[in-house]
Amino acid sequence: MDVFGSFTLLLAFVCALYAFVGGIGAIITRHPLLVKSTRQAGIATCVLIFIGTFSLEYLLFSDNFSVAYVVSHSNRDLSAFYKVAALWSGQEGSLLFWSFLLAVYVISVLISYRHKNGELMPYVGVVLAGVQIFFLMLNNFVESPFKTLAAVNASGALEPFVRQDGNGLNALLQYPEMVIHPPNLYSGYTGFTIPFAFALAALLARYPGEKWIHLTRKWTMIAWCFQSVGILLGAHWAYAVLGWGGYWGWDPVENASLLPWLTGTAFLHSVMMQEKRGMMKVWNVWLVFCTFLLCILGTFLTRSGVVSSVHAFANSQIGPWFVSFMVLTLVVCFVAYVKNHDYLKSENQLDSLISRESSFLFNNLLFLVACIAVISGTLFPVFTEWFTPSRISVGAPFFNKIMIPIGLAILFLTGVGPLLAWRKTSADSLKRNFTWPMVVGALTAALAYVLEYRNAFSLVCLFLCGFVFWTIVMEFYRGAKVIAARSGMSMMMSAHELAMRNTRRYGGYVVHFGMVLIFIGLAGAAFNTDVQKTMNLGDSMKLGPYTLVLQSADTKPEKNYTAERMIVEVMKGNKQIMLLYPEKRAFQGRDQQNGTMVAIYSTLREDVYVVFAGMDPDTNLPVIHAFLNPLVKWIWLGGVWVVMGTLLALMPNRRAALVIAAATQPAASPVAPALNPSVSLREGND
Amino acid sequence: MIRRRSVFALALVVALGVLPLVAQQQQADRVKAIGGKFQCMCGCSQVLTQCNHVGCTMSAAMLKELGQWVNRGDSEAAITQSFVQEYGTTVYAEPPKSGFSLIAWAMPVIYFVVGAALVVFVISRWRKRPQAASVDASAPVTAAGVKISQEAMERGRAQAARETED
Repeated sequence: MDVFGSFTLLLAFVCALYAFVGGIGAIITRHPLLVKSTRQAGIATCVLIFIGTFSLEYLLFSDNFSVAYVVSHSNRDLSAFYKVAALWSGQEGSLLFWSFLLAVYVISVLISYRHKNGELMPYVGVVLAGVQIFFLMLNNFVESPFKTLAAVNASGALEPFVRQDGNGLNALLQYPEMVIHPPNLYSGYTGFTIPFAFALAALLARYPGEKWIHLTRKWTMIAWCFQSVGILLGAHWAYAVLGWGGYWGWDPVENASLLPWLTGTAFLHSVMMQEKRGMMKVWNVWLVFCTFLLCILGTFLTRSGVVSSVHAFANSQIGPWFVSFMVLTLVVCFVAYVKNHDYLKSENQLDSLISRESSFLFNNLLFLVACIAVISGTLFPVFTEWFTPSRISVGAPFFNKIMIPIGLAILFLTGVGPLLAWRKTSADSLKRNFTWPMVVGALTAALAYVLEYRNAFSLVCLFLCGFVFWTIVMEFYRGAKVIAARSGMSMMMSAHELAMRNTRRYGGYVVHFGMVLIFIGLAGAAFNTDVQKTMNLGDSMKLGPYTLVLQSADTKPEKNYTAERMIVEVMKGNKQIMLLYPEKRAFQGRDQQNGTMVAIYSTLREDVYVVFAGMDPDTNLPVIHAFLNPLVKWIWLGGVWVVMGTLLALMPNRRAALVIAAATQPAASPVAPALNPSVSLREGND
Repeated sequence: MIRRRSVFALALVVALGVLPLVAQQQQADRVKAIGGKFQCMCGCSQVLTQCNHVGCTMSAAMLKELGQWVNRGDSEAAITQSFVQEYGTTVYAEPPKSGFSLIAWAMPVIYFVVGAALVVFVISRWRKRPQAASVDASAPVTAAGVKISQEAMERGRAQAARETED
């Protein structure tokens, strides 16, 4: 099966080469047969990558310990659940997984547009094939996951060697979220290849307009959604597994995942200016180019180990390949832009500094500054090594100091943007629109102060959360009121109808609401407290309003590990709240790795987060490290709303059929006036 | 008089009992504050006071050292110097605000100021440009320096519409 897997990947590489070279030929000659055959070569590439990936999974499931990758990342006792995850736990497998997910996107695009966009698709196919060639080169010639073990026999010759068992999966990865976090994040990384391919293709084909944006809207949102979910799942994994009490440590790999998310979010906003007013075409093209390059940079940082990180599970020599690919991509983008930038001229100008357009400009500026700050902070240790004799590290305190003000400014604009009109906003309108959100923001901050959340940044953050929340409520209320007046529906039904008629706009507001919840959660981080204590059975410790009592300890043997559990009773006053079971796991396998499993009692107000930190070497008693982390649950709830909002935004707009019916049957509603088509039939892109 | 002495004695006993606790708490707070400025050197890239990852061999030893220096009454600068001498500059959790490291702090601010100035400049330039004149003045120019007419752009747009379908 290892030979079969290698062969399919090699064949996939050949097919991708044909799709690339033949695609260029098809663009030049426009020969229909060549166009068709290159498209089919593109599809064949994807199918072969699927087969290659399934071959590796088969080797993992069949415990084939003649293959080096299987030996390094699996063992006989590893559950089937984690054998799936073993695919992306090592360098070679994760690069193959990159190719696999990219192939899913590519085949979807090639099949869904096979009868459409005939002139543009050869360009798109060439760009996609180019990206696939790069990753297939890595899969075949640099980091092949199908390398077999060999040993020197008595006569000095190499012969195949089979190990009895494998080393097992990294203990940190044996957690349910590790089965869904990397696929989400990688789906985000790979997904941005599609808008990149369409943007570059449209530029090469000299399309002046917004066509590529219409075509890639849903792909961009899908990639963005995966990226968002991947980031949040990663944060939750860090929170629940690493046991340091936090969810975001500004680790280089976390930062790498944030970079394309920041530029992708900027793009999702600035694209509205292009659709609405024909502006910022150059900016949007470059934002997409940068987002794709940051995805590649993210993969490079994750996999190369160039910046020391807890995630850098494997260091290798793939760095020069990635750097060369990024430079080549940048050159191609730059040349395409220089040759064809005249087709990206803005059609409109800005009328006022106080307008929706300028709020988008500042929004983009802040996202870009955030992105540059994260890049420069992440790579600063590397720069210092180049320019000075020593390496200076940059950790969480630096990023917190820089990013908190930027984050708050972005949150402010999240509220301000919808309150400003396109083109120009009058002073009266400003006063009218800002009054109530400011009042709600002030009330929120006052409530936070009373509840003893007394930290300057947190109070500002909670003020802004209240402010943004009320702007969202107002947006729904105003629209729903109009529909309710015309149709006679209840306000709730009207709000639903409103959202369904302009899914993108109101889906966006739902995403904003999710972000408000996330920021509420982040505001709580200033009040985290922790206690660490060596405890005997029956001992207790105070943690805020809670008392933690170490009740007992036990050992729980499982198939792939043995868990040593502490049983901790959580009390509030004299009332027992619940029992928590923090554990330490000793995994089987050659490396005898240890893992930790945090126990969390989570409420909307706070998390009681208990870690069994190990045995005290002096007393041989268990050490319990407990944290009281306020408001963390809001972050995960916010993530759910972000996903729901994105799904809503992906749905097609419902035409105002219901309202038309109501308007044409006046008897159905006593207040149904004549329908204003400009309102109810409006296609939402704002 | 005896009563006053008793009260004084009681106050003294309480003070003698409480003061060490207060001092201990202050020292613990100082360890936490200073420890938050360094990284654990085991390679986990976490802040010293937050590192408790499985198998860490360094953080306990580093915190013990830090505790001893704080108890001795060393200044933050002296503690920083001791840590840097022992572990090198990678021990910083945030770059020092001096020398080459100042660049790390300055860069985001410079980006923001330059970016904001650019945005304001672009907006004011756009606002000053009359809309009517802009049709001709802003006519796209090809790489060869030839102006593309509005009709050519419309043709291109029509071609894009023809060749693509949503």
